[in-house]
Amino acid sequence: MWSFYFHELMRSLPFFLKGLWMTVAVAGLGLIAATVIGFILGIVRAGRNKILRSIIGAWVDLIRGTPFLVQVFIVFFILPSAGIELEAFPAAVIALSNMGASFICEIVASGILAVPKGQREAATASGLSNYQQLRYIVLPQAMRSIIPPLVGQYVLIIKDSSVVSAIGVVDVTRVGWLTVQRIPEGLMVFGLVGILYFAICYPLINLSNYMERRMTVTATTL
Amino acid sequence: MISFKNVNKWFGELHVLRDINIEVSHGEVVVVCGPSGSGKSTLIRCINRLEPIQEGELIVDGMNVHDKKSNMTKIRAEIGFIFQSFNLYPHMTALENVTIAPIRVRKIKKEEAEKLGKETLIRVGLGDRIHHYPAQLSGGQQQRVAIARGLGMRPKIMLFDEPTSALDPEMINEVLDVMRNLAKGGMTMMVVTHEMGFAREVASRVVFMDQGQIIEVAPPNDFFTNPQTERGASFLKSILTH
Repeated sequence: MWSFYFHELMRSLPFFLKGLWMTVAVAGLGLIAATVIGFILGIVRAGRNKILRSIIGAWVDLIRGTPFLVQVFIVFFILPSAGIELEAFPAAVIALSNMGASFICEIVASGILAVPKGQREAATASGLSNYQQLRYIVLPQAMRSIIPPLVGQYVLIIKDSSVVSAIGVVDVTRVGWLTVQRIPEGLMVFGLVGILYFAICYPLINLSNYMERRMTVTATTL
Repeated sequence: MISFKNVNKWFGELHVLRDINIEVSHGEVVVVCGPSGSGKSTLIRCINRLEPIQEGELIVDGMNVHDKKSNMTKIRAEIGFIFQSFNLYPHMTALENVTIAPIRVRKIKKEEAEKLGKETLIRVGLGDRIHHYPAQLSGGQQQRVAIARGLGMRPKIMLFDEPTSALDPEMINEVLDVMRNLAKGGMTMMVVTHEMGFAREVASRVVFMDQGQIIEVAPPNDFFTNPQTERGASFLKSILTH
């Protein structure tokens, strides 16, 4: 029986690859948007405007303190009652970007705040504008402490994207659900699902570790 | 060149500068000394508005520093500021540290800025360290790069906030030499330092501060040999006998 199911599973492989492509699309768009929004929010969060800082802080806490599944449901099922109707795919990307941006915001803000105060003072004293200070002095140094956890966050975003299968996005997790109804070998089916996620995440995990090592080395020599 | 008129400053409840009145004219070298916490660093940090003042007037090169309408970029471009902890940009080479502000603030072309930057680094004795990163330089060399960075903007005024306090003793002189040369070249300088030998040699006047007030202003020889106040005398005694 097992080998029959395995044979069946291999025949469904194209279906899985389509699902994988959907996962890559949702997670890819999500993490690009999350990076852009997260950097903007993080820069403001590390800035001087107290009101904006606390608004962002409250939003980040709210998002970090609620399950991602609930957030996805709110975007997909509850926003339509407020007149915002979304297809499953954009709803998934929006929910994922929002969640990712909240985490990236904190990573970016703490990276910026970790740059010694004297750096900004020296830049101020030489007449560089706020924007120039950020662009040439603060961000390049902050990137050392931002990039390793950022890549780690990407891994989390990719894995969390599996949650969007709950609103009918046919990603690789959803393909697993659909297939297991036909091939009742849960371990085999979701084993394959797991392998596919791992295939994307593992290189990123390695990249993150590598960067962490490299950043620590340059941080001590520089 | 620099003029304090009844300047007062508070950090919260703490009154850190009390009724400061002093004029520094073109080409003068003024050494500021006093016990720690006397407000001497704060005093010079107000000049380029690294610190705001709450009362009084501070005029630098004809511009009102603490007027909101003043163009701070323009004022700061005329003032080089040297920190105790160097504050070099660690991700940039010595030359990049020196050229970033001329390129971005003065809008000088990169090639031109690099040419001038190299000249300035040669002037502080670092012609062979142009492409080194700060971490590859000794403390004394880093502080000289910082001075070159300040000079790179062709400022009219140089401010020094305890420039040798973070240095190992054998490196102090290489930094003081650069400062001596600057002073002899006619640069207007205000220097917070405890290097009394330097003060004797190049200062036009010594300002002695305590508890946020200017207690004494005198030519260095007068101040060192014959301080007019009790507090000045006891401060001199404490730094000369340590």
